[in-house]
Amino acid sequence: MADSKKPRAPFAPWDRREIPGIFSVEESARRVGHYKWIEMRLFEVLGGWVATVPELDVKLRLGTHCYHHAWHAELWHKRLPELREMNPERLTAPPNDELVAFVEAMTEPEAADLTIEKIVGAYRVLIPAKIAAYTYHLNNTSTITDAPTIRSLSFILQDEMSDWRDGEMMLQSLIETEDELQRAIDHQAKLQRLLLAAGGIAGPGTIGDSYANDQEAHA
Amino acid sequence: MAVEIRPETFSLVLFDVEEIRALTEQLVAQIGLPRDASVTVEVDETTPLGYAHVTSLSPVMLSLESGALEDPKRPRQMDPVGSADVLGRLLFEVRDRLDPAFGEAPASGDLTLPEASAWQAYCVGRLGRLGHHVQRQRRLYHFRNRHAFSDAADAAFDRLWNGDGLTWADIVAESNGALAAQPA
Amino acid sequence: MRKSFPVEDLARDARFVRVPIMERITDPRNAFQEQAGSSSRRAAGRLTPERPDAPDAARALMHGIFVGEIQALEGAGRTCWDFEVGAGDEEGVPEVPFELKLDMARQCWDEARHCEISIKLSDHMGTELGEFSENTFLYEAACNPDPVLRLTGVNRALEGLAIDVFNTMREFGELAGDPILEFCEDWMLADEVTHVKMGSDWLRRLTVNDKDRQKRALEFQRVVDKLFSLGGFRGEEEDSPVRLARRFRELAGFKEAEMDTLAEVAREARSEMEAQVARNKIAVTG
Repeated sequence: MADSKKPRAPFAPWDRREIPGIFSVEESARRVGHYKWIEMRLFEVLGGWVATVPELDVKLRLGTHCYHHAWHAELWHKRLPELREMNPERLTAPPNDELVAFVEAMTEPEAADLTIEKIVGAYRVLIPAKIAAYTYHLNNTSTITDAPTIRSLSFILQDEMSDWRDGEMMLQSLIETEDELQRAIDHQAKLQRLLLAAGGIAGPGTIGDSYANDQEAHA
Repeated sequence: MAVEIRPETFSLVLFDVEEIRALTEQLVAQIGLPRDASVTVEVDETTPLGYAHVTSLSPVMLSLESGALEDPKRPRQMDPVGSADVLGRLLFEVRDRLDPAFGEAPASGDLTLPEASAWQAYCVGRLGRLGHHVQRQRRLYHFRNRHAFSDAADAAFDRLWNGDGLTWADIVAESNGALAAQPA
Repeated sequence: MRKSFPVEDLARDARFVRVPIMERITDPRNAFQEQAGSSSRRAAGRLTPERPDAPDAARALMHGIFVGEIQALEGAGRTCWDFEVGAGDEEGVPEVPFELKLDMARQCWDEARHCEISIKLSDHMGTELGEFSENTFLYEAACNPDPVLRLTGVNRALEGLAIDVFNTMREFGELAGDPILEFCEDWMLADEVTHVKMGSDWLRRLTVNDKDRQKRALEFQRVVDKLFSLGGFRGEEEDSPVRLARRFRELAGFKEAEMDTLAEVAREARSEMEAQVARNKIAVTG
């Protein structure tokens, strides 16, 4: 650093961030509101399930993960006013009735012998769907204008990936018989159908449209 | 060998005299007390506390509060596993005291807390090798509390737990050694 | 899944056995115990290393803490689920602020961590999980349908008791030279101070315009505090096994007067227990 007055490029050569992003402020706010809604439903049910699950290791993991998703909801709650939504509750909503139906089905199991169904719903269906939606958002939003959302998404995705792995491993350790395997498959299929009808956690277009051309893909 | 249980029937706890007698007889035989020894197990059923002592050697008298034989998960009911631990420990103490080679140990009530925990480690270690369920870590915790949470104490505990043919002097030496190595 | 989960349905594996507290209280052997502190009969008394049974008493208390942490986790988790977010009571369903739920979720994590710590401490102390019976009076305080009363019962009464118990165990670890116990209890104590502050803050915020509700909540706390004094097990007498941790309670926001009241409640609980024991004695011995 021979001369501190010598002008440097404001974006370093290795910083490839660009302005373009596919989400407007309004669209970003809409999605963030849906994210907050689903994170709330997830942390609430994980908390509720703690008392219903007899397996001690699962009970403790649910308690830990409950907070992860509450924190995600809090991050989205705080992001909403920054996206010009001064009443965060207005956009804290599901994208459609189909997602409400999915959540109702996912949160239904209560009995102590339904741990497999509980874990399947949260960890094989919902969390992978969240990872997909968040990854799509992360990869398509403006890396400069929407940096705060990107920062939150990056933290959240770290949690989601690690929680998904925990859940999947708990499930693999719980499934010991053909019957239990079938229960997991059946419950997953039931929930996946409902989630398919919803179009994902942010409704149709949650992860774009793979059959549209570039221009239309994210419309 | 005669084993007597007092009282002959229990009214405050749901213990079975015959079950205690059978367990005591089994332990006496396994531990190898003299064939002509008569053993009395006296249970104070008026207290849920759990103290247990050897109060006499001739005849052998074991005095226990009912909590010593009680299942910690089922109030007033006997726990066969825990009872074997307590009775077995006391009967090993009796065997040691009756063995002239063991040496002269103070009466139960006169043992210091470190001495008592050291001797218990030695007794329960042998009981475990007879095939009874014993809690090694629990005894280690007792020993550490009475000596120190130190490597020297743990090593002394290991020697007591795995020991056989030890004398009272050996036990006192291990206990004193662990105490002397206490961290400042 | 239902809103409000009954205590009898709490899920446990086969290691755990539940014993109602009444079964302990009505144990006929209690009739023969003199009042705590009496010299005529040996009583358990304060937990210090000098007690011949101290290591086992500490193990039993630690197991009680462990199952208490499970119930505290379950209680906080249920508060996340049982109430809707809102500013009032929509169609009879009690509502709570979003931030309150976030605090309860945070508490879930803390209590889950306390369970993990307690399990490691149980290993350290040579205690098997489920070795001692469980009673569920802690969770019962977490079942109140009014969120303000629930928060008061759990975060001020239950977590307040946790402060007293953790401080007792921390002191025991310190006196016994047990660095692991002292370290763990100190960390858990820090969390509990936070939880009590949380409960006090929410009680104040939620009842700022509803003094009747605040009064009901404080009355409920008095009832729960008396229950949690366990007939004088927790109190300020010289022989109370668990003593009020006034310094840490102060950090958590309890006023001096509140702690004096709690000490009085504990004395009442002790007197009532002694009266109960006397009645049992007459019933058993005639």
